[in-house]
Amino acid sequence: MIGASILKEVWLLLRDRGRLISLFALPVVFMVVFGSMFKFGPDKGEPRPIGIWHEANDARGAAIETQLNATPGFVAKDFATPDALRHAVAHDDLAAGLIIPPDFDPAHGKLIELSIDEGAPIQARGPIEGAVIGTVMRALSPVAPRDMPQLVMPKTPPGIVNPLADVSAFQVTVPGNAVLFAFFISMAVAITFAHERHTGVWKRLLAAPVPRWQALVGKLVPYFLIAMVQLGFLFGLGAGAFGMKIAGSVVALTLLSAALSLCAVSFGLLVSSFGGTERQIGSTVPVLILVMGLLGGCMFPRMFMPAFMRQIGNAVPQSWALDGYYAVLVRQGTGVIDVAPQLIAITAFALGFTLLGLWRFKFER
Amino acid sequence: MTTMLELSGLGKDYGERTAVAALDLTVTKGEILGLLGPNGAGKTTTISMASGVVTPTRGKVTIAGIDLAKQPRIAKAKLGLVPQDLALYEELSATQNLTFFAALYGIHGKLAAERVAWALGVVGLADRAKDTVKTYSGGMQRRLNIAAGLVHKPELLILDEPTVGVDPQSRNHIFETVRTLRDSGITVIYTSHYMEEVEALCDRVAIMDGGKIVALGTIAELVAKYAGKGVALEVTGDLDQAAAAARAHATVTRDGNVIRVEPTAGLAPVLAAIEATGVTIARIESRQATLETAFLALTGRGLRDVA
Repeated sequence: MIGASILKEVWLLLRDRGRLISLFALPVVFMVVFGSMFKFGPDKGEPRPIGIWHEANDARGAAIETQLNATPGFVAKDFATPDALRHAVAHDDLAAGLIIPPDFDPAHGKLIELSIDEGAPIQARGPIEGAVIGTVMRALSPVAPRDMPQLVMPKTPPGIVNPLADVSAFQVTVPGNAVLFAFFISMAVAITFAHERHTGVWKRLLAAPVPRWQALVGKLVPYFLIAMVQLGFLFGLGAGAFGMKIAGSVVALTLLSAALSLCAVSFGLLVSSFGGTERQIGSTVPVLILVMGLLGGCMFPRMFMPAFMRQIGNAVPQSWALDGYYAVLVRQGTGVIDVAPQLIAITAFALGFTLLGLWRFKFER
Repeated sequence: MTTMLELSGLGKDYGERTAVAALDLTVTKGEILGLLGPNGAGKTTTISMASGVVTPTRGKVTIAGIDLAKQPRIAKAKLGLVPQDLALYEELSATQNLTFFAALYGIHGKLAAERVAWALGVVGLADRAKDTVKTYSGGMQRRLNIAAGLVHKPELLILDEPTVGVDPQSRNHIFETVRTLRDSGITVIYTSHYMEEVEALCDRVAIMDGGKIVALGTIAELVAKYAGKGVALEVTGDLDQAAAAARAHATVTRDGNVIRVEPTAGLAPVLAAIEATGVTIARIESRQATLETAFLALTGRGLRDVA
């Protein structure tokens, strides 16, 4: 019976353009759009220009400009006048710029002007501001920068495996969108139950010599397999076409995908246990999935969220799945044991959804 | 005669509401039993319990001697259900639909292909086997709905209003199909709102109302027992006085400004007695004894869908 159900659901899926698009095409579009935004943006490859103006014969200005060009991620961009620089910052042509007054004298309150939008979010403004100020301090230090002793050394703490040296934006956008769109299978599950109840096919299933648990499993297994195919397709495409690397174990990646597929399908069971028409499901479930995805960091990395939002994010399976995927994709040598907490958490969510769904599910609605 | 379906004390409650009280019914192998009743009478609940779709609150269902509750897989294998709705996957072809439904009964491979071809042949859709269901007309979809209940060759077929919304040609084809199935030994339970369908097809009829079977028998038996052969008299004047006068010569019932009489010794003494009271007889109508009059006599003329 389960074999026939799988075959039937594949037949139905292949004839349902809308579902094919939402499960396979839409996540690819999102991956490409988000991945391209970051890949070709200032954070990847091209250094961020920082405006600078100083008088032609100003040695300190020249030193700062030299130091800016020597700082990874920055390149100095000369302006003819201070106002031209300020105008560029005000019109978003530049993130920031330095105006070195000819009478620069910090002891007497004559400071270098850092032209920057002080209204910008601290998450965006802070790193630029800090890095530019550090660059100025190094340039004006009585000790030549190359002669300065190294004061700080970045080091990955024990317990975290070393990340890949060159992390592409697709390392983030592929799993983010894969997790987000994997949950759209839950909508397909809920809709198929609603459709079969509406058309009377569910009655045929109940009248057939098939145990009720088998009728239920027979409807869920095909969607679990479709979700696995969907994730395989998205990660395969990410690796094959977008240069996404898998730094850790492929087995761990597969187990995470299996747990995620199980979780998404069991969430579909839970949704279907509330009843509702196809239209009601179609209008409410996507909103629910998008909110869960947002909280889980599928669209905006959780590391940039405030602490309380990160805590809330732990209440949705998407965040655990993403943590697991990031570890496997980015941290070298990540194995099954390393992502065991994520696997356990996602499976626990799946179990919770299943038990709650079974408790509420009415065969004879 | 072999009993194909036996319902003993079968009932279903939904909370405080009793949908079916405690129903007893026996269906003999090879017969077509019509199940009639107004909306909300309990027909669909009854056939849902008989087919294992709904779990009864009380009572027992036996299919070909097998207790449905104790051996559901064996009992259900003998049963085919054709729901009132078009229980089909309209994105799939007829063959794909029937192949899936055959698989539910453990029929696969070559045997499934043979059964699918047979079922499509029975309902006259063999030439459209590869077409998707959504391209079918309403009548064709109804016929395929029947084929889906037939594909495993059940011994008992339950048809829940199988002709809703079909044209006369398709309806006629469905009638022929049902008769052919009966002739091949399949027992059929047929629910409908159309009296002429039941009169044309069924060997016996059970009339349900208020969750109970209120009458059961052949059509002739039901008509003779419940339809009556009286005369309807439309009168003006004191109806109570007229009815009292008529009672000396006939069985009398009142229905608005109409007095229905079944004379014990001819109509003339009844009319004379009524006219003697000074009441004027405006119209005399001879009542036709049909299944519909029997049905209305048993279930009343009040609307059932009015809140």
